[in-house]
Amino acid sequence: MRTMGFRLRLALFFVATLVAVQLLTAGLVYEVTRRALVTEGERQLTANAQAFVAQMDDISARVAGNVEVLSLDYALRSAIAERDRGTVLSVLRNHGRRVGASRMLLIDLDGTVEADTGAVATAPGRFPFPDLIDSAYNRRTAAVVALDGQASWMVVVPIYAPQPVGLVVVNVPLDDALLTHMQQLSALPRDIELAAQSASGRWTVVARGDRRSGLVDSLSAAHHALPWKPLLTKVGGKEYMVLAQRLKQPKQGTPVVAVLGYSLDDALSPFRSVAIAWATLLALGLGVGLLGAWFTARSVSRPIELLATTVRRIAAGDYRAAPGMQRHDEIGQLASAFGSMTEAVRQRELRIRHQAMHDSVTDLPNRVAAETIIDHALAADDGNRGALLMIGLTRVPEIVKTMGHALCDRLMRDTSERIQRVAAGAYLARASDTQFMLWLSSADQAAAVAVALRILDVLNEPYQETDLSIDRLPSVGIAMAPLSSVQASTLLRHAEVAQFAASGSASALSFYDAATDPHRPERLSLMGDLREALDCNGLSLYYQPKLDLASGRFGGAEALLRWNHPRRGWVSPEAFIGMAEDTGNIHRVTRWVLASALAQAQQWIEQGLPLHIAVNLSARDLEEAELPERIGRLLSIHQIPASHLTVEVTERAVIGESDTAIRILRRLAGQGIGIAIDDFGVGQSTFAYLRHLPVSELKIDQMFVKHLATDTNDQIIVRSIVDLSHRLGYRVTAEGVEDQGAQDYLASIGCDHAQGFFVARPMPVDAFAAFVAGQAGHVSAGLLR
Amino acid sequence: MRCLLVVASLLLGSAWSSMAAEVTVHLSDGQGHAVNDAVVMLTTDAAPATAPVPERPVTHIIDQRNETFIPYVQVLRPGDKVVFRNSDTTRHHVYSFAAIRTFEFVLRPGESSPELSMDKTGIAAVGCNIHDHMIAYLFVSAVPATTMSSHGGDAMLSHLAPGHYTAHVWHPQLHPGHPEPIQKVTIASDADVLHLAFTLSLMPDPRMSMDREHLDY
Repeated sequence: MRTMGFRLRLALFFVATLVAVQLLTAGLVYEVTRRALVTEGERQLTANAQAFVAQMDDISARVAGNVEVLSLDYALRSAIAERDRGTVLSVLRNHGRRVGASRMLLIDLDGTVEADTGAVATAPGRFPFPDLIDSAYNRRTAAVVALDGQASWMVVVPIYAPQPVGLVVVNVPLDDALLTHMQQLSALPRDIELAAQSASGRWTVVARGDRRSGLVDSLSAAHHALPWKPLLTKVGGKEYMVLAQRLKQPKQGTPVVAVLGYSLDDALSPFRSVAIAWATLLALGLGVGLLGAWFTARSVSRPIELLATTVRRIAAGDYRAAPGMQRHDEIGQLASAFGSMTEAVRQRELRIRHQAMHDSVTDLPNRVAAETIIDHALAADDGNRGALLMIGLTRVPEIVKTMGHALCDRLMRDTSERIQRVAAGAYLARASDTQFMLWLSSADQAAAVAVALRILDVLNEPYQETDLSIDRLPSVGIAMAPLSSVQASTLLRHAEVAQFAASGSASALSFYDAATDPHRPERLSLMGDLREALDCNGLSLYYQPKLDLASGRFGGAEALLRWNHPRRGWVSPEAFIGMAEDTGNIHRVTRWVLASALAQAQQWIEQGLPLHIAVNLSARDLEEAELPERIGRLLSIHQIPASHLTVEVTERAVIGESDTAIRILRRLAGQGIGIAIDDFGVGQSTFAYLRHLPVSELKIDQMFVKHLATDTNDQIIVRSIVDLSHRLGYRVTAEGVEDQGAQDYLASIGCDHAQGFFVARPMPVDAFAAFVAGQAGHVSAGLLR
Repeated sequence: MRCLLVVASLLLGSAWSSMAAEVTVHLSDGQGHAVNDAVVMLTTDAAPATAPVPERPVTHIIDQRNETFIPYVQVLRPGDKVVFRNSDTTRHHVYSFAAIRTFEFVLRPGESSPELSMDKTGIAAVGCNIHDHMIAYLFVSAVPATTMSSHGGDAMLSHLAPGHYTAHVWHPQLHPGHPEPIQKVTIASDADVLHLAFTLSLMPDPRMSMDREHLDY
């Protein structure tokens, strides 16, 4: 717009074209006219020159006629014949006045001047122009002569009495008055001059017409010659066509010419008014054209500008149609095309937005949309209550793999319908492939549970299709607002955590509990703190003594990691070990634990306490190929026999793990290090599997041990494990011994070791040393074993 | 009666011609046309041996018919007489300002002037003051060998004795002021027959019934 607008350009183009065409036409017309005038001037000048000559001849004829009549006058004849000079002179004077002659002469047949009415000074002599006398008898003779700066028309007429007796010469002055008179009588140009050539060759004006244009002076100054053909030249700053015409002259006479001028300016003057009219018309046309062009351009550009505005508005997301576009021309078509395009774009955007905010399978809002809605709901009224239910179908991945996506989609649609049926009015969205989220606005915990239970009820009904029935295994996690959070995203995460917890529980329903949330954000900062603790010795090892049931002595201890966080206090291993595994920090932790435990073991050996040390390894540690070498190096550094060290791994760490883990375990066993399976019994490991591993010890999970004193089932299980283990050559340790009964039972069935709060709590090094010292007798005995 | 006389004298002349030297003169104008009414005159260069024998004066009649003088040119001997006779139905004002004889008559129709004796040699132009185009010439010559060109532009002079002559030609329409056309002629013997030719530059015939006003146009 700031550059030249369309309207302006269009208008300027129109006007420029108009001006160009008009100027071109004007120039053309001017040139054509001027050329025509020049041609006309040439023609006129030539014609005028001839006319001038003819006119002079006419005058001479008139004069001659008069003189002839007078020559026939008997008195004159007799006077001449009788040589009566006085009479002759008077008669000549008399007749000279009659014919308008300035001077009259009588010439003898032999050319002698007999009488002269003119200058008295002129003594009788010979007539200076004998050729005029010669021709006078044959034809009417007249010529222009210049004498003393005066031009005159000399007419020579013979006198018959009745034979030629002499000649009368009539001098008619060719002066300004005569030229003016001739101009008035005829179409002679206004610019006419008679010029005589002097002896030096210079032309001097001897007579001129009524306009003093100075043709001759200008010509002789500029060209030094007179133009015998029409010549275009400047005279006094004006354009003239000039032509010089020779006049009839006696042979001996001074050259006299008539110079005629044709003023182009004069010729153009009638056209001047035409030119003015033209210019006025042009200006008028220009104005009208400009106005017309402006209006036309405006009628074109206005709607285009309007359209441009509309398009900018559309780009900003405002899809209203452009106003005032009821036109039937191309612009109107453009506007209507814009309209339909806008509508199409709007529809598409709606669809895209719907797709962006909705799940295509169930047509429910998706997680993003739901978060926005929930955030709005929570922000709408500060402190607004609500419950977010996360409904998960644990089996969905399995169903997809088994039955395919199509069926799974139908199942999910069925699920959403069922939920909507029992939770009418609540806001349902699909949170993920396997999860729905349900927002219960203003619901309290009880209401949330009620809804959750209803949902679980309907979802527990199997999904039915023709000869197909599928269990969904639903679980519901609940997060409360504002109790849990007032942020949808946090609320969602909490609900998800709760749902994950619920999926493992029997009730399939769980509230979010911040205390048990393993995914709290602070754990990320915890890792940093952990690394710092590793570097600055912020960790410590506690040792839990293991009782040798057969001897009743403490022959070893399990090293347990403890972290006294400078700000949070004691952090439980469950809280940071899993995280360290996830974040890859576990190797450093294990290295530190091994180094510390073995260093401690060396100290004890040096103190005379050759204790058996058990260290926990993470499943991730078994991915480290150089672990056996490192342990071997540590053992040799601290001069500890390999048989004094047992590494404990969970069932999970060895079940389904790669061959690498098994190879590492074999190499450790090969070095003489004991391998213990921790938490045995709760996992899926079987003896059949364990047989392939270099296992030397099993540690029965505390779940079986806790109620061992009273629960006969547990007793059967434990006894069976111990029997079977012993038969396979494994030693057995029972964990979680919390009362005398359990310890007694274990001792009775021949279990090798007992561990638990009842036996001894985990304790720091100093306390452990004192504890062991208090059992000195037992210790030495245990060590022997 | 007078006519007969004239004819007789002419016949006599022609009879002589066979016996002495002859000069024939052909006259033509610039265009090759024969020129009539020219006077051809042979003058002897030697001093006139003897005074010419005076002839009997003759009376010439210049008639005026149809506003024309007839003849146009009349050769006369000094002492010859001339009478102007008006045979027209209009008046004629016959005049001459000639140096040899000035006269002026107004002749009524049918009237004749009195006899006019032309004693001096020379040329008298005779005009009519009423009719500008009427003109006649009286050529008074004492030279015996004077004649006029007849039709065909030829003039013949005979009875010429051997000797040196000058041939003069005069014509009314010769340019005034121009030199007189002459030729030297030498007659060796009586048997000589000489042929001369003159080309004359003539002005228009003033007798034409024309208007001088429109001479050129």
